[in-house]
Amino acid sequence: MHIDSIEKLSQWQTECRAKQTAQKRKVLVCLGPGCLAGGSDEILEEFKRIIAEKKLADITVDSIKKTGCHGFCARGPLVVIEPEGIFYSKVKKANVAEIIETTLEKGELVEKLLYKDPESDKKYTDYKEIPFYARQKRISLRNVGQIDPDEIEEYVARGGYAALAKVLAEMKPQEVIDEVSQSGLRGRGGGGFPTGRKWATCAKVEADIRYVLCNGDEGDPGAFMDRCIMEGDPHSVLEGMIICAYAVGSREGYVYVREEYPLAVINMQKAIDAAHEHGLLGENIMGTGFSYDIKVSRGGGAFVCGESSALMRSVGGEIGEPRAKYVRSVVKGLHDQPTVLNNVETYATVPVIMEKGADWFKKIGTPKSPGTKAFSLAGKVCNTGLIEVPMGISLRDIIYDIGGGIPDGREFKAVQTGGPSGGCLPADKLDLPVDFDSLTEAGSMMGSGGMIVMDDRTCAVDVARYFLNFLVEESCGKCVPCREGLYQLHHLCVKICEGKASEDDLALMERLSKVIQTASLCGLGQSGPNPFVSTVRYFRDEYLAHIKDKKCPAGVCRELITYTINDKCTGCLACIKVCPVDAITGEKKKLHVIDQDACTRCGSCYAVCNFDAVDIV
Amino acid sequence: MVHITINGKVVKATEGEMLLTVIKREGIDIPALCHHEAIEPTGNCRLCMVEITRAEWEGWKKHVTSCLYPVEDGLIVNTHTPEVIEIRKTILDLQLANCPNSEVIQKMAEEYGIYKTSYETVPEGDNCIMCYACTRICEVLGKSAISAVMRGHKKVIAPPFGEEPPDCIGCLACAQICPTNVIPWTDKDGTRTIWNKKFDLITCKECGKTIITKDFADYLMEQRDIPKEYFELCDDCKRMQTARKMGEIVTRAQEATL
Amino acid sequence: MTQQDMTKLGDIFDHYPADSGSLIGVLQDIQREFHYLPREAMAKTAEVLGVPLSKVYSVATFYNAFSLTPRGDTIIRVCKGTACHIKGADLLLDQLESGLGIKPGETTADLKYTLEVVNCVGACAMAPVMIVNNKYYGNVACNRALKLVKKD
Repeated sequence: MHIDSIEKLSQWQTECRAKQTAQKRKVLVCLGPGCLAGGSDEILEEFKRIIAEKKLADITVDSIKKTGCHGFCARGPLVVIEPEGIFYSKVKKANVAEIIETTLEKGELVEKLLYKDPESDKKYTDYKEIPFYARQKRISLRNVGQIDPDEIEEYVARGGYAALAKVLAEMKPQEVIDEVSQSGLRGRGGGGFPTGRKWATCAKVEADIRYVLCNGDEGDPGAFMDRCIMEGDPHSVLEGMIICAYAVGSREGYVYVREEYPLAVINMQKAIDAAHEHGLLGENIMGTGFSYDIKVSRGGGAFVCGESSALMRSVGGEIGEPRAKYVRSVVKGLHDQPTVLNNVETYATVPVIMEKGADWFKKIGTPKSPGTKAFSLAGKVCNTGLIEVPMGISLRDIIYDIGGGIPDGREFKAVQTGGPSGGCLPADKLDLPVDFDSLTEAGSMMGSGGMIVMDDRTCAVDVARYFLNFLVEESCGKCVPCREGLYQLHHLCVKICEGKASEDDLALMERLSKVIQTASLCGLGQSGPNPFVSTVRYFRDEYLAHIKDKKCPAGVCRELITYTINDKCTGCLACIKVCPVDAITGEKKKLHVIDQDACTRCGSCYAVCNFDAVDIV
Repeated sequence: MVHITINGKVVKATEGEMLLTVIKREGIDIPALCHHEAIEPTGNCRLCMVEITRAEWEGWKKHVTSCLYPVEDGLIVNTHTPEVIEIRKTILDLQLANCPNSEVIQKMAEEYGIYKTSYETVPEGDNCIMCYACTRICEVLGKSAISAVMRGHKKVIAPPFGEEPPDCIGCLACAQICPTNVIPWTDKDGTRTIWNKKFDLITCKECGKTIITKDFADYLMEQRDIPKEYFELCDDCKRMQTARKMGEIVTRAQEATL
Repeated sequence: MTQQDMTKLGDIFDHYPADSGSLIGVLQDIQREFHYLPREAMAKTAEVLGVPLSKVYSVATFYNAFSLTPRGDTIIRVCKGTACHIKGADLLLDQLESGLGIKPGETTADLKYTLEVVNCVGACAMAPVMIVNNKYYGNVACNRALKLVKKD
């Protein structure tokens, strides 16, 4: 249906809702990145194949839907049966026939696929009751995992584009800006800049051309929230952008998607095409006379392109070198025109604020950080996945209540937030509320939402070394403090990991870090030393152990540890098979021995041994 | 006209002009390696960083590259605070590790009390400080024959594929603007070599001195409508020729009045 | 490049406006089509988009997406994101390096395999992650890595 009036949207919404209700049963197969890595695409095909053959009464092939990330990646592949919300986890292709026969045909549960809480042993049927889900509040992720991202009608059925209609029909541009300002929404990409203020500043600049851009670069390793929104609910991003364009007076914009997300590029483009087709994007949107169009711009693969001025250069087909920002990009941005650049999650939140109002939004979260935040919970935590929680929730609640704590009986050591620009927070900071300001005061930052949990077998110095190595490779190379400074900082960190550094080196690193933070041209350099600065703040003893004792307490840094095999060895040959340098000898059922001269201390033997027979000394 | 304070002294400046220009005009010496009047500033070297604040900031201050910072009324600038000196020292120290044989860097570092780098010398370091002056001037000239290639610490200035740059016209602008003299070139036996590319030289018909490469002359003739004859004499011989002609005119005029 | 290749190249150019803003998109399509950026293609791109060759070369060497040398039939990407790192991505690399005889960034002499280390691919919950020719594998145990590569 071509929407050439506000009324037509209402009509269409009614029709779409009726279609959804008519489908009595739905099978949602999660095709999020985690489940996809577990083979969920084959599960989807298997469902379709069997249903097509069976010809059942209330289920057709159309009832089998692929969705974006449902969230509980640790338990994937996931299948959810609506309307009951029956949640099957760790599904294999071989289980599909049984699910169809038992649940869809007979209306019974496949017990072995239900989620069982590891502590209480309780089995859950409805996913909404599982603690992982129960404590979440999904606003920006409201449709992710619930709809087929390729079907605009499903988005509309769930209220999509109604906020845009309301804005175009009832509000003036300044009123939109006021509402967003009043809501207190702050940028979800990591900066936390008040969104309303950004839009207001851009709108005030006198110019004929203005751009509204979306930052889908999500370069922080460990973060995949934006990926899931772009792949799983692309229309929510478009709707937010169109509302912004109306508010500031823009006719043209881009969604910048990083190169490493090819599916996000495809899904955003499909959504743009569908929105065009239905008169929701492009010329004369919903017949109101307002025009705004969006194109997808693909990144070339560079972390620095998440920085706003580098991103804009990349959109222009250039290398992603930032420029010094004494004139902000809201005033002079893409092609030197006033530009609003906001993050994917920020745009996805905007339609809900317009629909339910600033006051509703302010009631969630904290006064200075209203609303919710999506996080990708990963690392050494039981329940890895995609979550969204009200701001102000504590790190402890996220990691233990939702995250299920640390696996394999190990101890919590630190949680890394904010990506390479952030830092590590230790156990005594677990009760900090998660919001923009509290984590920054403690030496980390909330960042874009990547949250990596570390246990006692993670070395803080190695983590600093890892991030510094990443930043050295991703530095654009333009300015000296970042290019040369981070290079030298990394080099010194490697020296520490290898047991070759002195306390003078540590002091030099601390002095150098201050200069890099002050003198670098852009945010990458300015926050580059953070991984080192935050780990040295909380884990100084670990650094000193590497320097003075030449030991790695966590048993990670290869130069400082030794692997030996103890008498628990059963002679199973597993370690011999996996050793990449053939440093282990032994016969079946006899004690295996590591040749220390040949051993590279990679840890593969430790990883594969099922008998605790490998010691790290 | 605006008023700003530099190191405690109130000075006048034009609104929007770059802070570095004002600082230099006041005779204050701060290093600025990637800065040159012929090209737009980019803030690569960071040496021109200074501390700025404003009365209403209540003590809060920040550090900016003065080459790129437009002055505003009421700006308070300090060019030699301990923090600013520490920044300059560290940058020169880092450059020394990357360009161990650069006399220019050595001299600048010594001025700040650094005789040996605190860091490990970069194994593949050359004397290029990555100021981009060469690529920028080449772009201004409209050729863009060379560019910054790769990223981060591996970044180098190079022609495409590391071979003879097809767009280079041998004008020497890059070599001449380079603050550390790291772009080699030779003029020998009627041929100029730069970036491994050879150019035929046009020499003065009168004295035989090198004027320009043929490619550069062709470029100027095409771009600026300059006649071919312009490149037949070097500047000195052109001046001599003009002086001779002037002399002839004066002599004829004198003869006419007698 | 063959005549057929030049036709494919022409098709790619047709999809984009002939200006500098299209550079990255064009190069990505060329990379996808030819599995690397042939020199001729880069020169033609400079001509068609009206961009200096030095700029095309600068962009091609700046971004991770592009390779200037031919790559193997099977591209193995090991994710080096934070979660994958702490869950043992290095162990996968050790196995693949010793099993294939190449280091990250290299291609086997018979052009069968290219090993790459890539930035976070956004499947962090299933760390460590390995992608073999666009097929994702999660929770890869180090002793399975080589088998997963060779089975395709």
